[in-house]
Amino acid sequence: MTILLLIIHGLLGVALLGALTHQSVSLLRGRAARGVAFLDRYAGARDRTFTAAIIALFAANVAVGAIIYPDYRLGVRIPFEEMSLGWAVGVFELKEHFAGLGLAMLPYYAYTWRSENAEALRFDRLMITLVLAVVVWWDFLVGHVLNNIRGLE
Amino acid sequence: MNRSRFSAAAFAVAFCIAYVVVFALDFPLFRYWPLHGDWTWGRTPLKDAGPAMAWYGLMANAGIVALLAAFIVPDAIATRLLRNRVWLFPIGAMAACVFLLRQFFA
Repeated sequence: MTILLLIIHGLLGVALLGALTHQSVSLLRGRAARGVAFLDRYAGARDRTFTAAIIALFAANVAVGAIIYPDYRLGVRIPFEEMSLGWAVGVFELKEHFAGLGLAMLPYYAYTWRSENAEALRFDRLMITLVLAVVVWWDFLVGHVLNNIRGLE
Repeated sequence: MNRSRFSAAAFAVAFCIAYVVVFALDFPLFRYWPLHGDWTWGRTPLKDAGPAMAWYGLMANAGIVALLAAFIVPDAIATRLLRNRVWLFPIGAMAACVFLLRQFFA
């Protein structure tokens, strides 16, 4: 069961990574994509659809992570400590704290992406989206690397 | 700007501040002891229960503070005061977490 949930956690992470990176590139391009070049097409994210999907994926992924977290605490962190891999414990701690902070940003993220707030909160929208992208990239890479060192059983 | 009883800006800012405070003070609402599936309030120790997990309790504590702030602070005021500055708070909170966990990287 834990392995199944871990795989779901990873797959949700991949989907979230793609969606947030897509939306971040779209924001950084700063104009409507009209060309046929790959980057123009890539930057053509539909705001509302992406925002709703990102919120659902983020919340679901944190929930799945919270369910399998006790297995990490007992089956992975203790061996890390025994192997003197303090940095591995530390980066996972950052992963959990960043995920929690990211989760709490979702209401404001949704607020900044409302069409009526588009102009007034343009900079917050850009930065909160980038913060969420950094959180998701960090969490994905840390989870992947630590799972390579010692996976859940 | 639309009027709402729930202020998303106040929620985000209050959560970041509260999270760093409860994390720095090691003050979760509760702890989970996964070895035997026990729960305790606050910092109550539990003998022979294995390692404790504080993250759920930290999230709960910060979430309660953030919800109170989000419903107490009028959205119009929060949005006007914090307009295009809210992003500073999660970045500051993340930096604070790195600082508070520095012993793992020494």
